[in-house]
Amino acid sequence: MVRTVNGQPGSLRSPAGPTSGGRGGRHSASGRPLTSQQRFAVWIRRHRVAPYLLLVPSIALIGVLVLYPTVQIGVISFQNYGLQQEIGTLPTQWVGFGNYSQILHDPEFWLSLRISLISAVVMVPLTLVVGTLVGLLLSRLGPRMAAFVSSVATLAWATPAVSASVVFVWLATPDGGVVDWFLSKWPSWLGGGAHWAAFSWTNAALPAYTLITILVVWSGFPFVAVSVLAGLRTIPSELHESARVDGASGWRIFWKVTFPLLKPIFLVLVLLSIIWDFGVFTQVYIVIGELGQRDLYNLGIYEYANAFNMPPEYGLASAGAFILTIILLILTVGYVRASVRQGALR
Amino acid sequence: MGLRKTPAALVAFGAAAALAIAGCSSSSSNTPSAGSSSGSSNAPASITVWRMGGSVPSEVAWMNGVTAQFKQQFPQYKNTKINVDWIPWTSRTTDWNNALASGKNAPDITELGNTDTPTEASLGVLANISSYVNSWSNKSGLIAGELANDNQNGNDYAVPWFGGVRGIWYRTDQFQKAGITSTPTTWADLVTDAQKLMKTFPGTYGIDAITDDSNAFASFIWGSGGQIATQSGGKWTADLTSPQDEAAIKWYVSLYRTYHLSPSQYIGQTELGPTGSTAGGANTDFALGKLDMYIDGPWASAEFPKNATDKANWASFPIPSQNGTPVTAPVFAGGSDLAVFATSKNQQADWDLISVMDNESNSLTFANSQGFFPPYTSELSNQAYTGQLMSGFAKAASNAQLAPLNAKNWATADTGKYFIIPDMLKALMNGAPFQSTVAAANSQLQQVLNTGTES
Repeated sequence: MVRTVNGQPGSLRSPAGPTSGGRGGRHSASGRPLTSQQRFAVWIRRHRVAPYLLLVPSIALIGVLVLYPTVQIGVISFQNYGLQQEIGTLPTQWVGFGNYSQILHDPEFWLSLRISLISAVVMVPLTLVVGTLVGLLLSRLGPRMAAFVSSVATLAWATPAVSASVVFVWLATPDGGVVDWFLSKWPSWLGGGAHWAAFSWTNAALPAYTLITILVVWSGFPFVAVSVLAGLRTIPSELHESARVDGASGWRIFWKVTFPLLKPIFLVLVLLSIIWDFGVFTQVYIVIGELGQRDLYNLGIYEYANAFNMPPEYGLASAGAFILTIILLILTVGYVRASVRQGALR
Repeated sequence: MGLRKTPAALVAFGAAAALAIAGCSSSSSNTPSAGSSSGSSNAPASITVWRMGGSVPSEVAWMNGVTAQFKQQFPQYKNTKINVDWIPWTSRTTDWNNALASGKNAPDITELGNTDTPTEASLGVLANISSYVNSWSNKSGLIAGELANDNQNGNDYAVPWFGGVRGIWYRTDQFQKAGITSTPTTWADLVTDAQKLMKTFPGTYGIDAITDDSNAFASFIWGSGGQIATQSGGKWTADLTSPQDEAAIKWYVSLYRTYHLSPSQYIGQTELGPTGSTAGGANTDFALGKLDMYIDGPWASAEFPKNATDKANWASFPIPSQNGTPVTAPVFAGGSDLAVFATSKNQQADWDLISVMDNESNSLTFANSQGFFPPYTSELSNQAYTGQLMSGFAKAASNAQLAPLNAKNWATADTGKYFIIPDMLKALMNGAPFQSTVAAANSQLQQVLNTGTES
């Protein structure tokens, strides 16, 4: 039940309507002076401060957990910060852009960047396609089947990344793993054969990142599916019905009716997928066997190795993290501008 | 919402946020006490000991016995709790660094490989224990070369605990069945024997040509008459492009590519499987009979699975050199040291525990139960290693070498950061062009050994 404020019938717009403004806000309508608590409430209402006060806890948390470390990393990236600086036996020194230039001149950085780019280019569309298909499926199913499919999909999303990675590595292990056994039994005219029997999926870039892509798409598609489903529910069904009456096929309906209306959702999903898939760490770390194979590093692992291997170079890794951030900013800003021009955002 | 409820709720929100911020503030890291807390005989509440590898029941039992002796010999510590943590070898440097950087969960005593000691001491991770070592009655009995390895700029940072060398494990019954009458002494013999074994036992692998065990691969480089790197006047020169080294590298890669004695799954792995494992890989394959010959030290038996087969037939022979001269290939003189962590609060108590762990009788019982060699000169010469398992390793130990694996930057060049030799072997086994790959690895190794970084 909504209580109206001071006789304004049904006003929902702002709580800071005229209250006791007539006498300078220091006296209630009945003439008694206001307590400090009441005066505070009046002040909040008059200056419409309530929304901002409600934001304070979130801003404080984000400030401490995200902004402060980001500023710290930025500062460290311009210093030669290593283990001895961390424990205090040596002072920190400013090295200007030395860390950045060291990273940009490191061939291993360019190799990791290439691997990150290629895997993101494959993972993002794949996740979106699979997720959208499942979302479309969920919108057509009856309630019980939809509940079953969506809960199974959510299980995939809810599985911790470490557990999922360990299970996938175990499935793909050359000695007794199900994948190799199955592929070796597969007829050779379909691509199988005995040469799959002891195939190692984790010691070369293409097999390892195929495994990682399947793993990431498997754990990422439910989020896309649920978001697409929510978006589909907002489309009035008359649009689909009239398109079907006009004789359009399912494919044309999707591209001409559904997709344009879902563009804002797809914009957000693509942005999120790019950011997540570029920075994927856990799955790669476990599939490539921690840090022993430098030719399989992606950007996240490369920076982790710089920071925490021997000797730890936190300054260098911070510079690498900032370079990754700048790359992601360029990608996402570019994508958002293109989408705005196309009318996905108004 | 009522007039009075709004501000109270908002104030509560703000207070909760303030508390959360205060709770989330990071604690500053501790500065290490540089050996200044000696002499205090206050008993600490606990002493944390970091052991390397996976937990082994016989070692746990040994440690319990040592703890009882420690409390008997030093009654002031009778209420001190001794905690033992097991750290996988491949993540040890990360764990030490994280313990130091965060100031939390740091050990008081740590085991460390004898090649780790120079690097860690120079980084300030280990406490200077010279005063304790110099006044220790057992100091003169230690093997001089091992103690010298732990000394930097005239200060001792660790004491040797046990030594170990690698050899090749095999099964006497398998050799008999395949018609091999004597263990191989040249590389060509090794290949022929492996081929015979694979023929007699189809479905097994002849020998494990893994890429991520430079301590073992070094024996093949040294066995060809070459060196990995040499030092003169304080500057390192890497030798991987010398003809002897290239012959060794080519031969090792051919074990996989040409002779198919080793499976593709071992590429990129350590002898225990993927990096970070404490059991598995070639080690498990040998124990279960899938691998015929296995390059590792006697300590490998601690990592074998419980359902290992044919234990009675296990034996060892030294890694052969290229042409049989010198008789066996030089082996890396590995081993572990015991050190006090720089941030430990009660270093006297830590040293007292180390002196009990590393006294003559305890180090001998530990070494014998695990297949290691004790660190005392007299004990090493007194022990008769005549059993079929230990005799091969003992023979190999007479021709041991350390450099350049104890160089200050070797850990960075190898399994600490750059994995130079493992990645070179991996690329070659995957078909990379030989000359350019070896030349690139060589210049990278030289750069890292001298400066500690790649660029």
